[in-house]
Amino acid sequence: MRPYVVTDGRSHPTRNTLDLVTLLIAADDLPLTGLSPEKRALMELCRPGALSVAEVAGHLALPVSVTKVLIADLMDSGHIVTRAPIPSARPSETRILQEVLDGLRARL
Amino acid sequence: MRRTAHGHVPEGARSLPCAPAQSGARVVRLGATSLRARESARARSPLPSSDPFPPLTLPAFENFEDFMKEQIPEAVFWCVAVGLLAVTVLLVRQRGITSLLRRRNAELAEDLRTREEEVRHLVAVRLPALEDHGPQQQPVPGLGLLDARLAGSGFAKSLDHVLERFATAVEHAQSRADQSAKAALKSSMRSIQALANEQQVAISDMQDRHDRPDVLRDLLEIDHANAQFGRRAQAIAVLCGSWPGRQRSTSALIEVVRGATSRIRDYRRVQIHGQADIAVESRAVEPVVLTIAELLDNAARHSQPNTKVEVNVQSVHNGACVIIDDAGVGMDAHATERAAALLSGRHAVDVTRLDDPPQFGFAVIGVLAARYAFSVSADTRSPYGGVRAVVFLPSALLTHRDTAEEPPVTAPPARASARTPAASPRTPESAGTPAASARTSESAGTSEPAPSPSPAAEPSPGRSAGLPLPAEASTTVGGLPKRRRRAPASAQAQTQAEPAAGVQDAPAPVEEPGGRSAEETARRMGAFARGTLHGRAAQDAEQDISGTPHEDEGNIQG
Repeated sequence: MRPYVVTDGRSHPTRNTLDLVTLLIAADDLPLTGLSPEKRALMELCRPGALSVAEVAGHLALPVSVTKVLIADLMDSGHIVTRAPIPSARPSETRILQEVLDGLRARL
Repeated sequence: MRRTAHGHVPEGARSLPCAPAQSGARVVRLGATSLRARESARARSPLPSSDPFPPLTLPAFENFEDFMKEQIPEAVFWCVAVGLLAVTVLLVRQRGITSLLRRRNAELAEDLRTREEEVRHLVAVRLPALEDHGPQQQPVPGLGLLDARLAGSGFAKSLDHVLERFATAVEHAQSRADQSAKAALKSSMRSIQALANEQQVAISDMQDRHDRPDVLRDLLEIDHANAQFGRRAQAIAVLCGSWPGRQRSTSALIEVVRGATSRIRDYRRVQIHGQADIAVESRAVEPVVLTIAELLDNAARHSQPNTKVEVNVQSVHNGACVIIDDAGVGMDAHATERAAALLSGRHAVDVTRLDDPPQFGFAVIGVLAARYAFSVSADTRSPYGGVRAVVFLPSALLTHRDTAEEPPVTAPPARASARTPAASPRTPESAGTPAASARTSESAGTSEPAPSPSPAAEPSPGRSAGLPLPAEASTTVGGLPKRRRRAPASAQAQTQAEPAAGVQDAPAPVEEPGGRSAEETARRMGAFARGTLHGRAAQDAEQDISGTPHEDEGNIQG
C-alpha cells in the first residue's frame, strides 16, 4: 500500500505536536468502525498500553511522517491521547549509560 | 460464196465456221456467244427493229437454230436453278454458321466481361475485406463471388486459390508484425518497469528518511506518479505476453482493491465497501490488482471529477465479486460489444490494432482473465448512470481469512509485501529511527531508561499477556543488555484470539491488581521505549531476540 493512499494524499498532520517518542494511548471506549485499516491497526497496536510514534511507525511499516498524519487524525477524532515523551522518570543512571557505551565500543 | 455469205448470212452465222465440229457443250457456249453477238450487232445497228430475233433465213442453220432455241434455255435454266439452289443452301448454311458464331462470340465476350468483373471484384472487394478482417479463421462476410454463374468453374477455383494464398500471406505478415511489435514493446517495457521499481524503492527510502511534511508532500506526488507509470508499463508488458510481475503474499481482497486504487490518478474518488474476510491467493494478487486498477482507471477517467467511484466487494456463491460503479457517461452498444469481446480474452490481441491512442485497458484485462481464469464483465449499466464493471473471482483464487485477526495481521504483511524491496531497508530504518529518537531524547536532556520503571515495566510483557515470555535473559556479545521488543503483532495475533479486549484487561488484574493509571503506564512505557531504543541502536540484526529485557535491566541495575 502506497503511503499516499494511507493518508489520502495528505502530508501535513493536523497538529504539529508529535515527536518520534511521543507516547500514544488509545481511548478504549470509541468504536473502530469507519476507520481505515491502517488506523485500525494503529489502534490495535496502542490498545494494550502505550507506544511511541516511532514504534508504531515501525510496526505499521509506514514512514514516520505518514504515521504522524494518521495519528493526528486519530487525535482529532479522539481515538488517541498523547503524552509528552519525557515522563517523570528519574535522571539517568550513569552506570547503565556506561554499560551501553562500553557495549557499543566493544561492538563497533 | 463469200460475198453471198457477206450479203445474206447474218454476222452470227458467219462467226461459226467451225461450229459443226464443236461438241454439245461447245454448242451451248457458241449459242450463247452468238446471242451475245447478235445483241451487240443489234445495239450497233441504227435501225430500230421490232423483232429482237430476226428470222434466220439460212436454211442450213434452221435445225441448229431450233436446237439452240429449245435446248439452251432449258440447260441454262437448270444450271441456274442448280446454282441458285446451291447458293441458297450455302447461304442458309452460312447464315446459320454466322449466327452461331455471333452467338458464341457474344457468349465469349460476356464470359470475358464477367471474368474481368470478377477479377476486379476480387481486387477491389474480396482481398481488402480479407485484409481488413485480420487473421481470424472464421469466414469473412461479403467474400463470395460476384457472379454466381461462375461458381464451381475452374476460374472460380483459381480465384479462391488466389484468395487463399493471399489470406495466408496476410496472416503471416500480420503475425510477424504482431510478434515483432510485441517483442519490442515487451523488452522496452521491462526495462521501464525495472526503472519504475527502482525509483519506487528510492522514493520509499526517501519517505522513510525525511520527516518534514513539505518533503513528504512532494514525495507522495512523485510516488503517485511513479505508481501510475509503473502500472502502464506493467499493463503493456502483460499484453505483450509477459507475466504480471512480483509475487505477493496472500492478501485480503479489500487490501487488493486498495492496492489497485493506489495505481490510478484519481484514487481519492474511490470508495470501497465490503467484507474483509475474503483473501486472494498469492499467485493471483498481482493480476487482480492490475485488473481492478485498469477498471478503476477507466471508471474514474470516464466520469466527472466530482463524482465518486464505488467499489463493492461481495462474496458470492462460489467466489467473490468486485463491483465497480461509476457515474460517468457509460458506453454505447458498439463500445460495449467491443469491450465484451476484449474482456472475454478469447481472441489473441493484436497490439497493432488497438486504437490510436492505443486502449490497453480492456485488452490487458482480457489477457489476465483468460490466464488466471476469472471473469470480468462491463456490459451492465451502473445505477449511477455509468458503467458497472464486475470482476468475478472463482473460489480457486480465494482463501478465507479470519476477520478477528484481520487488522493486526494483514496490515503489516500486506504492506511489507506491497513493497518487498522496501521492506528490507525498512528494518534498519526502524532501528535507525529510534537512534534518531535517542538523539532527540538526549538533546531533550536526561532521558534514560529509568531504573524504577524497569521493574515496573513488567507490565509491558504483561501487556501482551497471552505471549509466552521467554525466560532466558541475555546480553549481547558486546555486553549490551538485550531488550525484548514489544511483542510483534503477528505473534500476538497468532497466539491470541481476542487481542484487543483480552489483552487490555489483562494487565490491570494480573500485574497490579490495584490498578494503574494510563499516565503511569505511559510513563513506564516511555522508559521502556527509550531503553529499547538504546538496546536496538547497537544491534540491528538481533532485534527479535527472545528474552525478558526488564529482568535484564533489573539485574543490571540491581
